[in-house]
Amino acid sequence: MKCESCNKKYATVHLTEIVGNVKKERHLCEECAQSVNTQIAKVPSPTEILTNLINQVAPGINELSKIICPVCGLSYLEFRSHGRLGCPMDYTVFRKGLIPLLEKMHGSVQHVGKVPSRAGKELIKKNELMQLRNELNKAIEKEDYERAAELRDKIYEISGDNDENK
Amino acid sequence: MMKISDLADNTGEWLRGTGPESDIVISSRIRLARNVAKYPFLSRANAKQKKELEELIRTKIEEAEVYPTLNYINLSELSSVDRLFLVERHLISKEHAEGEKERGVAFEKSENISVMVNEEDHIRIQVIRSGLELRETWKTIDDIDNKLERKINYAYSSQFGYLTACPTNVGTGMRASVMLHLPALGMTHHIEKVFNAVMKLGLVVRGLYGEGTQVSGDLYQISNQFTLGKSETEIIEIIEGVIPRITSYERMARKALISESREQLEDRVWRSYGMLKVARMISSEEIMHLLSQVRMGVNLGIINDIKMKTLNELFILTLPGHLQKLEGRELTSSQRNIIRALYVRKRLEKIETLKG
Ligand SMILES: [Zn+2]
Ligand SMILES: [Zn+2]
Repeated sequence: MKCESCNKKYATVHLTEIVGNVKKERHLCEECAQSVNTQIAKVPSPTEILTNLINQVAPGINELSKIICPVCGLSYLEFRSHGRLGCPMDYTVFRKGLIPLLEKMHGSVQHVGKVPSRAGKELIKKNELMQLRNELNKAIEKEDYERAAELRDKIYEISGDNDENK
Repeated sequence: MMKISDLADNTGEWLRGTGPESDIVISSRIRLARNVAKYPFLSRANAKQKKELEELIRTKIEEAEVYPTLNYINLSELSSVDRLFLVERHLISKEHAEGEKERGVAFEKSENISVMVNEEDHIRIQVIRSGLELRETWKTIDDIDNKLERKINYAYSSQFGYLTACPTNVGTGMRASVMLHLPALGMTHHIEKVFNAVMKLGLVVRGLYGEGTQVSGDLYQISNQFTLGKSETEIIEIIEGVIPRITSYERMARKALISESREQLEDRVWRSYGMLKVARMISSEEIMHLLSQVRMGVNLGIINDIKMKTLNELFILTLPGHLQKLEGRELTSSQRNIIRALYVRKRLEKIETLKG
């Protein structure tokens, strides 16, 4: 089989691309394959799909764009551009933006499945965490950064493994 | 400590070519994404936190006695060839190989189990088996996860489940995938129908090395797209339900090829086998294509002097990282093509001699 690009050399590279739902085959010589490799339409990576989705569903950007996670410092805007969250707390902090996104992504916003055995202790921690977060916000308002840092560390200690539906 | 070169002569158990549907289903794999509570995800973690996490998880894996013989390798101490080798072995992901700072992988000698530390998530547990064995695979990984969970406080919320760095993994944190060899569906251009059917079930099709990789050697990975809203066993049931339909579709396509164009099919298979035995330079794309044809030939009984295990292994053993490990040095692409052809020729000659 001749290379379909230069029509001179033998095709030794057989590529299969999936574009959307369509499979396409290409038969190329090694040289041509190397030069076209960059042009071949790639299957979008999950990150690309994700950022697309985020842009589609993100409601009221202005309102959300001001939100910054008090624990890890990630802003909602940064999340929107990279598609990665900064810490477990972000699921609570960016909840408003995440709910429609998760709905679109998974068709659901409620976990069904495995529960870690220690999840029972969480309800107690939940309340503690809410209090700490209120305190943290107050400390930031008062520009008491030393206290804020202390609180942040405490929140770290109990966040993440918590049931925190706001 | 174990060395990467200790692995170079063998391959993982999951390439044995055994288990249900193993003529078409190469392997079943499940991975779970987990994060440690009280720590930021890795993209926001500083060097100190990454180091702490690495130490913590490494120690807890040992304490949890996840498996008696897990070897731990610190990836930051490895050369790029060694890391590529581990990617090709499916012991670590590409992202993990290319990551920064403190990170590692614990894996079992048979290579069925690996635990990646500081990948995109703090912990990625992975179990692979030969053939269609998702249920057994789930039992194993669930058990490992339980053992680790006794030692590590996972980031978890009752609404969102296991919290992950990327919201595409949140919930179960589980990706279950099955690797299929579908040459006849590709040849007869019926593969699009499979893709469509599979997508409607919330599954995705990818190439050999997962996310964003090209399909080659007619090898496809089918895995779940959704991780939130369905339980682990529900997801596994969906995949286990659809795979037998795809494999029987592939078998039908093979039968049709035989009855409609037996000579052409045999010619293709034998030419590919011949090429493997005589070629002096073979590119990595070409070898996938040739091995795929020969593998189908063996399944159809056209060729019967080569074992499925040998073919499955050759898909991995002829990859760039493996060849460079074999030679003990870095090789250019054309050097690799020479070594690759030589290596395959030797492997196949050995079979000829054994036959006597
Ligand atoms: Zn060409
Ligand atoms: Zn955060």
